[in-house]
Amino acid sequence: MKTKFKNLNREISVLTALVVMTILFGIINPVFIGSDNLTDIINQSTIYGLMGLGMTFVIVSGGIDLSVGSAFALIGVIVSKLSVAGMPPLVVILTGLLIGFLLGAINGILISNMKLQPFIATMGTMSVFRGIAYVLSKGMPILNVPTQFRNTVDGIIAGNIRISIIIFAFFAIIFHVLLKETKFGNYVYAIGGNEESARLSGVKITFNKIMIYGIGMMGTSMAALVQIGKLGTGEASAAQGYELNAIAAVAIGGASMAGGRGGVVGTVLGAILFSALKVGLIVSGVETFYQYIATGLVIVIAAYIEIIQAKLADKKGMKLVKKEKKL
Amino acid sequence: MDNYIEFKNIKKAFIGQLAVKNVSFSIRKGEIHALLGENGAGKTTLLNILHGLFPATEGEIFIGGKKVEFFDSKDAIKEGIAKVHQEINLVPEMTVMQNIMLGDEKRKGILLNKKQMYQETEEILKKLKCKFNAKDKVSRLNTGEKQMLQIAKALKGQAKIISFDEPTSSLSNNEVKTLFSIIKELKSQGITVIYISHKLDEIYELCDRATIMRDGEYINTFEIKGLDKSVLIKNMVGRDVEMFAKRQKPLRANYLQTVLSVEHISGKEGYEDISFNLYKGEILGFFGLVGAKRTEMMKGIFGATPLIQGKIYKNNKEIKNCSPYNAISHSIGFLPENRKEEGFIKDLNNTDNMALASLDYFERNFFQNKKQKYKNALEKGKRVGLMPNDPDFITRNLSGGNQQKVIVGKWLTTNADILIFDEPTKGIDVGSKADIYAIMEELLEEGKSIIMISSELPEIIGMSDRIIVMHEGKITGVLKREEFNEAEILLRAVGGKE
Repeated sequence: MKTKFKNLNREISVLTALVVMTILFGIINPVFIGSDNLTDIINQSTIYGLMGLGMTFVIVSGGIDLSVGSAFALIGVIVSKLSVAGMPPLVVILTGLLIGFLLGAINGILISNMKLQPFIATMGTMSVFRGIAYVLSKGMPILNVPTQFRNTVDGIIAGNIRISIIIFAFFAIIFHVLLKETKFGNYVYAIGGNEESARLSGVKITFNKIMIYGIGMMGTSMAALVQIGKLGTGEASAAQGYELNAIAAVAIGGASMAGGRGGVVGTVLGAILFSALKVGLIVSGVETFYQYIATGLVIVIAAYIEIIQAKLADKKGMKLVKKEKKL
Repeated sequence: MDNYIEFKNIKKAFIGQLAVKNVSFSIRKGEIHALLGENGAGKTTLLNILHGLFPATEGEIFIGGKKVEFFDSKDAIKEGIAKVHQEINLVPEMTVMQNIMLGDEKRKGILLNKKQMYQETEEILKKLKCKFNAKDKVSRLNTGEKQMLQIAKALKGQAKIISFDEPTSSLSNNEVKTLFSIIKELKSQGITVIYISHKLDEIYELCDRATIMRDGEYINTFEIKGLDKSVLIKNMVGRDVEMFAKRQKPLRANYLQTVLSVEHISGKEGYEDISFNLYKGEILGFFGLVGAKRTEMMKGIFGATPLIQGKIYKNNKEIKNCSPYNAISHSIGFLPENRKEEGFIKDLNNTDNMALASLDYFERNFFQNKKQKYKNALEKGKRVGLMPNDPDFITRNLSGGNQQKVIVGKWLTTNADILIFDEPTKGIDVGSKADIYAIMEELLEEGKSIIMISSELPEIIGMSDRIIVMHEGKITGVLKREEFNEAEILLRAVGGKE
């Protein structure tokens, strides 16, 4: 039990930061803690959150995926075309997820079979995916996505609560269970912790890496589907820079960029914190330009907090020892 | 003989544990002083405090009667306390000079004063009789030369005190000899040497006195001259352990039943035309010097690297191991030589590390059975004598011997019939060694067979049923137990007889 609590340390501190932030913004402008606004924050966190779920797998395995923003645009263009062409919503969703898996698998093959470094491989596909999105859409936005599809992924359930929140929660649970409770998830941590050691323990590195990038990209697929639902438009220029926001959500959530550590719970909280900060700054009347600065600072501070936490843990350990000696 | 370095009531706590508990002793000026103890006894921690890598939680250090307090390693170096690291700590893509001068570059204005730096480097290299030049790239040096370079680097700052932490673990016999003559030379120059090693022979050859630590506590300090080895060992482990590797149970190899048959295998790593049989219930030892390609060949058999040619039969059926996954599914296990790089996953706890090679076994309808994994870790931990036997403990934080036991636990979990142990006791303490030998014999009783690579003659002679000697990628001898003879084995290992 003790270690379980210790492992949750990071999640608890992100949660604490979130609560403190909510109270502060609430004092500045009471509108912030209105129930409409709070659900709004969660609504807005779904996009980066869904992308962050997949990114968590990739980062825990010791990799990085810079292509998710472009893949988002490409998937968005394809699914909005299919939807406009009259394909039923559920089929569109499944097709979108499948395309996401395939795009991710391409990254996985480049990285594991061809031994490219993840940074370079996905920087390459980042450009390729974006290019294909422009070619397919001829640079024009795909308008008038049918309401039926939009309601399926982002319809209103009650008040301000949207289906996309349910989808986000559903994906978060599946990704969490996959990472923590299955063989595949164990391998993700093992590969990120020490790839050679994992290989010598019989882990099929190539296969698992393809799955990691493939399954990871399905989070981005779902994010693209939700976005089309929200906007009703597919565009090749969509989601510029989203990959960095997805990485930020994972980093705030406590994953190590070196691999081997991190989790879905942290990422979900990281995504919500990210969105709360944005909404809070707007509600508090801070100019857009300053918002960039604030967001950047939060990422740096989050990373620093982890270092402080490690030091505190060392001190706590010393106290424990002293206590044991007294007994 | 005055007390030069004095440790007074030193304590150091890490998360939840006291690594050093109230240690007081002193070291004389100009002596070679050994620090002895099992892994996790607190020797390295104590040294790190002396070197200013981290502060002591409590206690004081006096050098030459003056209290010293270091806040980082630079402070210690300024005081003339140098350290030769346990692991090689060099930048391979830089030259010898650049490595020696790293962090202490000499400048002329804002530019580097290369002339002066080369001059100083050459002086140090000359003093140590190094065979390489200041302009050589470090990546081109061999392990022994790298070790020399580490010493050169440590000596640069006019050291008065120098410490060696397991310096010989990656050296060949000749290199060890050179190292020893250097250490003796240092002593004759009045430098005080602190020497950590597991190898008692080295202590006897080199050291004046030895301080023994156990479980973070100071036990005793002995004059080495005229001291019985068994006294040292008893003090180190706190219990009686067989001094050398020895078979405790009757031999049980069945030479009528071949479990693994290797025929004419070769690999691009440099092993050629290797053929041998492994019989049921035997420990087949592989001896050789550095460059004998034993590890490379075993990795080929295990499927970690491809074979160029040759066939492998298990229980008289041909198997093709194109990956470790295949080998494991054929019930073969491999305990690698490099614990940290290849043996376990640093962020995982003992439960997950021990389960890693058997996750299929723990799978129930797609989900991992965590309770069963935990139980398995507890049970295997008990069997291998893991301390502490806590399945939630992060493996990285254990001592070397205990880390090795976790890895042994991993292969016990797979229940493999054939186990390849590559240097299973390298760099681990006497107590853990005995535990691992006992486990090996238990495995034989269960009908399993073991291949053991070892570079320690007493170990390979004590534990093996048969020994295969290799030299530069080729087999130069197969010896039966009654033919075991140190001189014979060494002769074949250096390629003097085939």
